[in-house]
Amino acid sequence: MKFAAIKPVSRVLARELAVTALLLLGVSVVVFAILYLAPGDPLNVLLEGQSPRSQLALGMREALGVPQTWYGQYAAWFGKMLQGNFGNSIRTGLPVLPELARVGVYTLTLTLGSLALTLLIAVPIAVHAAAHGGTTGNTAATLAAYVLSAVPVFWFGYIVVYVFIHQFGMFPLISGTAAKQEHAWLYFLVPIFVLGIASGTLSEMIRHLREELSRVLAEDYIRTARAKGAPVWRHAFKEGFLIPVTEIMSAKIPFLLGGAVIVEQVFNWPGMGRMAWQAAQDRDFPVIMGIALVAAAFVRLGNLLQRVVFTAVNPRASKE
Amino acid sequence: MRRYVQTPGPIGQFSELSLRQRAGPLDLVYVAYGLLVVAVVVASYLLGAFGWLPHDPQAMDIGLINAAPFTSGHPLGTDFLGRDLQARLILGIQAYFLPGLLAITISVVGGSVLGILAGYRGGWFDTIITYFDNLLDSFPRLVLILLVIAAFKADIYYVMVVVGITGMPVIANLIAGKIAFLRQKSFIEAAHALGLPAHTVILKHILWLNCRALLVIQATLGMAEAILVETSLSYLGFGVQEPTPSWGNMVQAGANYFLQGNFWPSTAPALAILATILGFQLLGDGLNNLLEGKRRK
Repeated sequence: MKFAAIKPVSRVLARELAVTALLLLGVSVVVFAILYLAPGDPLNVLLEGQSPRSQLALGMREALGVPQTWYGQYAAWFGKMLQGNFGNSIRTGLPVLPELARVGVYTLTLTLGSLALTLLIAVPIAVHAAAHGGTTGNTAATLAAYVLSAVPVFWFGYIVVYVFIHQFGMFPLISGTAAKQEHAWLYFLVPIFVLGIASGTLSEMIRHLREELSRVLAEDYIRTARAKGAPVWRHAFKEGFLIPVTEIMSAKIPFLLGGAVIVEQVFNWPGMGRMAWQAAQDRDFPVIMGIALVAAAFVRLGNLLQRVVFTAVNPRASKE
Repeated sequence: MRRYVQTPGPIGQFSELSLRQRAGPLDLVYVAYGLLVVAVVVASYLLGAFGWLPHDPQAMDIGLINAAPFTSGHPLGTDFLGRDLQARLILGIQAYFLPGLLAITISVVGGSVLGILAGYRGGWFDTIITYFDNLLDSFPRLVLILLVIAAFKADIYYVMVVVGITGMPVIANLIAGKIAFLRQKSFIEAAHALGLPAHTVILKHILWLNCRALLVIQATLGMAEAILVETSLSYLGFGVQEPTPSWGNMVQAGANYFLQGNFWPSTAPALAILATILGFQLLGDGLNNLLEGKRRK
């Protein structure tokens, strides 16, 4: 069985890598199109308002070697990015890519931590619900899922912050000083928890896992396994657990990254979301562009991993 | 490409059952609550548009700041400048109502066109739309919106164009699936055999007679998304600016007082957001269960 799965995985991996590369190329085209259509010339920013149509501007355009056509500009821009040159921040003047790497770690901690934490909570609940059925519990879970996905993240964040100030006498603020205090892990867990609950990830996860697992448990091959006295969980694991878990994790990454913009704002978490907010305030285009590209790459990477797991578990998928 | 879609169910599976047979008890509650919310929102929008407010939303009363609900003259209390919360909540609907309608118009019209091209023409159109879908899914939407804000300006109508475009692929997929299902039915074949022009078949027999429920459902869910985006952005300070109220900037304005233990000025708009988004979502999902036959056994 194992050998049967190896060949399709490598083939699908190659195809999925190609698709991912193509989509990332598309992502760069979308970002470039927004840059290209935006009113005003980035050169004007550089000239700081000194009469944009003057000889100086023309000379500068010439001297910088700015291509005249849009495809020339795209090629030049894309080439620079391939070399890791995302430009400099207009506000701070620092190169964008090292800055993104610095704050990206925090956002990665927040989103991946949130995924892990929600998984830890969701899996036992979903497995229990799927195994034992129970209409009342399911209805309650469905209703809770609806309500939680409609709760405004920022308000939920305030409730948690308030509880922390008044119950534990501290502000769950993530900064350099906070990490040195005791209970530092709590400071990290709180925003992670808020993001997982209020972005609807937790409730969606429970719902999806429960539906998929109970669907698989009702399949004929599980009934056969049960009748033979074979371990049901081992047979249901791949289709009923592994696939839905990777599916929902990959599907939720963009939502978590979007939610991170707000959660980082509420909790003063120094990640990409806060940086994106600051950049949009200052119209710091190179920074927000870099964040969009990095976020999209992260989403596609998650999707690629999900496809790989899906194909490894289900080799037939390679013939689709 | 396998894709995790939240709402749509199997298409037309239960169409032979009557509405009464299809309705779960909760579906009717969902729809009733949703319709109530829509009625309240539309009525409040009209009240705000014509300026028929119970109180002047900008009139400050420094002697009566952060008042609790049921204070005399202010049934929903006042904010940190003593302004009437009820009037400001009603006026806050202006911030998302028309922009939200723009967003759902774009996603319904654009999604229908793409869905018809994919379902009716098929072939490489289908592939292109799948890639378009995956491309739009690659961006966290709030990041894409912040990108557009930075490039153009912090205008809610620009933002709603982005929301509308990102909402198109889901509708396109649903319409394409519906058409694939309908093509097997003999009435489409009969319509072609009768020599009806393609646009009549598409517009009347496919879109109007068979997809209108689906489009209404998706428009309802789209409105919930639009409200979520508008309130998030005005919370972040990119939407409507003080002193003009929007639910998002009202939550933000009350935040400091919330942390001091004065919950209401921030909580009232937050509950309005919660109740409204919940209403649109439940209406959409309830109608989906009733009309499109997604019904759990």
